[in-house]
Amino acid sequence: MDNKYSRRGVLRGLLTGGLVTVSLPWLESLGGFSSTAHAAGESGFPLRFGLFYWGNGVLPEKWVPTEEGEDITLSEQLLSLERHKAKLSILTGYGVDVPNTVPHWSGAAGLLSGHAMPSGSDGDTFSGPSIDQVVAQAIGGETLYRSIQSGATNVDGLSFNGLHSRNPPETDPYALYERLFGATFVEPGGEGIVDPRLGLRRSALDAVLGDFNRLSSQVSASDRVRLEQHANGVREIEKRLARLQEDPPNLEACFKPQIFDSDFADVSGRPQIELRNDAMCSLLAMAFACDQTRVFGHYISDPVDNVLFPGATTGHHELTHNEPGEQPEINSITQFCVSQYAVLLDKLDAIEEGDGTLLDHCAILGCSEVSRGQTHSLDDMPILLAGSADGHFKTGLHHRSYSLESTTKILISIQRGMGMNVTSFGSEDAYSDEEVTEILS
Amino acid sequence: MRLLICFLIFGCSGLDEDTGEASPRGSAPSVELPVNGLALLTESQYRNSIRDLFGSGIALPARLERIQDIDGFQALGASVTAVSPVGAERFESAAFQVAEQVLEESMRAEWMPCIPSDELFSDASCAAEALEQIGARIWRRPLLSEEVETLTALSTEAADVLENFYEGLQFGLAGLLMSPNFLYRPEIGADGSLRETELASKLSFFLWNTIPDDELFDLAIKGELSEPSVLAEQVDRMMADPRLTEGLNAFFTDLFDLNLLDQMSKDPLVYKHMNSALPAAAREETLHVIADIVLDQDADYRTLFTTRRTWVDRRLAAIYDVQAPSMDGFGWVELASEKGRRGLLGHASILSLYAHAVSSSVTLRGIFVRERILCHDIPPPPADVNTSIPEASESLPTMRERVARHLEDPNCASCHEITDLVGLGLENFDGIARWRTRENDVVIDASGELDGDTFQTAWGLSRALANHPDLGPCLSDNLYAYANHHKPEWAERDLLRWHSDGFRQSGNRVAFLMRDIALSPSFRAAPKLSEEEGDSGQ
Repeated sequence: MDNKYSRRGVLRGLLTGGLVTVSLPWLESLGGFSSTAHAAGESGFPLRFGLFYWGNGVLPEKWVPTEEGEDITLSEQLLSLERHKAKLSILTGYGVDVPNTVPHWSGAAGLLSGHAMPSGSDGDTFSGPSIDQVVAQAIGGETLYRSIQSGATNVDGLSFNGLHSRNPPETDPYALYERLFGATFVEPGGEGIVDPRLGLRRSALDAVLGDFNRLSSQVSASDRVRLEQHANGVREIEKRLARLQEDPPNLEACFKPQIFDSDFADVSGRPQIELRNDAMCSLLAMAFACDQTRVFGHYISDPVDNVLFPGATTGHHELTHNEPGEQPEINSITQFCVSQYAVLLDKLDAIEEGDGTLLDHCAILGCSEVSRGQTHSLDDMPILLAGSADGHFKTGLHHRSYSLESTTKILISIQRGMGMNVTSFGSEDAYSDEEVTEILS
Repeated sequence: MRLLICFLIFGCSGLDEDTGEASPRGSAPSVELPVNGLALLTESQYRNSIRDLFGSGIALPARLERIQDIDGFQALGASVTAVSPVGAERFESAAFQVAEQVLEESMRAEWMPCIPSDELFSDASCAAEALEQIGARIWRRPLLSEEVETLTALSTEAADVLENFYEGLQFGLAGLLMSPNFLYRPEIGADGSLRETELASKLSFFLWNTIPDDELFDLAIKGELSEPSVLAEQVDRMMADPRLTEGLNAFFTDLFDLNLLDQMSKDPLVYKHMNSALPAAAREETLHVIADIVLDQDADYRTLFTTRRTWVDRRLAAIYDVQAPSMDGFGWVELASEKGRRGLLGHASILSLYAHAVSSSVTLRGIFVRERILCHDIPPPPADVNTSIPEASESLPTMRERVARHLEDPNCASCHEITDLVGLGLENFDGIARWRTRENDVVIDASGELDGDTFQTAWGLSRALANHPDLGPCLSDNLYAYANHHKPEWAERDLLRWHSDGFRQSGNRVAFLMRDIALSPSFRAAPKLSEEEGDSGQ
């Protein structure tokens, strides 16, 4: 281990960052946060944030474009984004500044939350909230769902509300459809649901919240935080039931999508990722258009995922380590993942909103938890940011950092792009109080 | 029957402090215990609870909140992870789904203590009686009067609005089922000990993976359970009950991560024996063999690694190359003595779970043995090293030559020596546990070393493992952590040692250990919260 990351340093990081998150409702721990984020941009349409994720990194030598600035020639692994080039920023040369103690997971936690792994953890968890939830806390309050999580394969996702508090994604396209456009969905122009049971369910949830309060007063401080997070989920159901009784927002672009005609079953032991991703991205885009949610996390695979990609001779994670030479299989898997990101952008860009498209009112972060999968490197991370967030970001450029700036700066930029008045983010080595000025318009 | 006899012979060593009986071990050392996290019911505990409350015919949602493993156990994750909004949503819909079913005409007579005066109207006194009675079983403690009042008012309001007593009661019942008092297992205690009802719950979830039965619950209500002789009697009764198998299965499923079998991906082109029924069959084999050794035979835990006897259906028989016991279902078979397949490390569950989609894995298998069976800590690989292993070729025909790099490069060797030299012993099993003698036409060399004990075959590895001094203490520590749902701390080391010594003296009998842990004073302790931690002044 690098000397810079002494055990004491790790501990100190947790004391200044992680533990604060543990013992306080997490919002209070986000320094410089203001809750008065403006929900809509200049266009009058709401701002939205999406996380698109795939596991196990890239091949940096085939990822980083050689040209910088505007109108560049795309690199081999980014070629499928050619049609979205004008609405995309490619950020390279940024590093994750947490101690790389748990391969893959340190990177995921540092990149998406700005905090190191919880002390003693061997992975699969975060110590603080992930960027999608930080943003959702500010802009997700008015919609039916604070955020939607989905996965094109059998993933656990990387959305965390705080320490050990993970938001599981829907991995079945039908379940995602049911959640967003199922029995309770009303198209614009329709009327809210009239059913006395909705009100009664809210009364039942009120009673349950009373139980949470009584139990909370008898347990430890860390259990109180856990109960509070669970109770927040209960409050969200209450809020949703209330909204279902109201008329739906009148949004021109919103309509109820068709149900699929595929069963999405695995073929020869492999998930049909392309088919599943296409179906799910359509639903996510329409969920934005219908203002069901303003935040999503969508995952092709998890960190360390060993999923069998189409055409690959073995699982992805295994290939990152064992494929010799220039790793042609890893190259094509990475290209495939990027092409799936392009599909998501297609869906968002196809929906008209005002003078532009839905994509123009979004910021869609595309990323992975390591730079090179084989070495678990956290330098030169692969970061894509699509959509200008209603003119907040410059797009159509490749910006490269030559001083290995922190990826936390990108998280701050995203929050500010979403109208949040945040000035600093992250903890310990991953702390930052700067933005990426080069992508601001 | 056999279990009970053994207990009599070995005495009540865990109880000597209370009973004053002579014991060869001395009493459990008194150690400082940490405050336990509030445990969320696991998915199987939730399902078992509903089954035991209302019968096995109740349909439940396909998915509830899946609890994350922390420190290798879901049981530990249950005490530190937080429920997500989606999880809260699933608990709400499950509560209504259950409430609706059990209030159907055909079901409600089973548990309702009263009949409303008129079904089309509310009836507060019948609602209160029903909620108070079933509520005590759902929450595993008597309800406070204000709790009964809140739920009764809710049910009455709903019955008035919906003009139906039973439809109204659905809301009160759902309120019970989505309450944290059902979904979590509070261990608040009083005066340093668990409350009687909390002790009953802790015992039943540990030994049976479900809620207390009538007898256990009634004793707790009467305040008699913590009486040492009553407690010992109850633990012995629970240990003799068939439900003990469920408790044992839950522990070993958690320890070996057997639930991951359901998500396992294997390339069917490489493994033609792979099919969708295999994961469940492989889990059944492992759990059945463990239950046989631990409960039916009350044999030495080490037998699990050395036995030639196993429990297979025709799919597993095909993988193991033995005669299928029958066309349908499972039966016992004796594995051929000349082959290396013996015990747990020959099971399809472990060998396929700890392998890749298209190949075996000496590292994953080595880590499994080290971490899960021996409790050795394997640090993750350092960042920024090239972890690739070369492809198979003429000069590198088998995995042994290919992973040689792990063992030569000093960056890798310190860890890979302790994992790969173990995993290489299992190279005669492919990624789905089929026996093979050659890889790429070269004879596989399955020799290796486990902490100074060298071996030539998988059987030699299993024998070395069975003789390893850390084998018993590791299981003992793991069972202790599972039962008390916290990761043991340094301050508890004397107590851990006391349990593992007792386990060894008992002849490594897991049933003895389960009883020993259940009757340990630490099991029924409820450490007080410190000033800052505790009651926030309310």
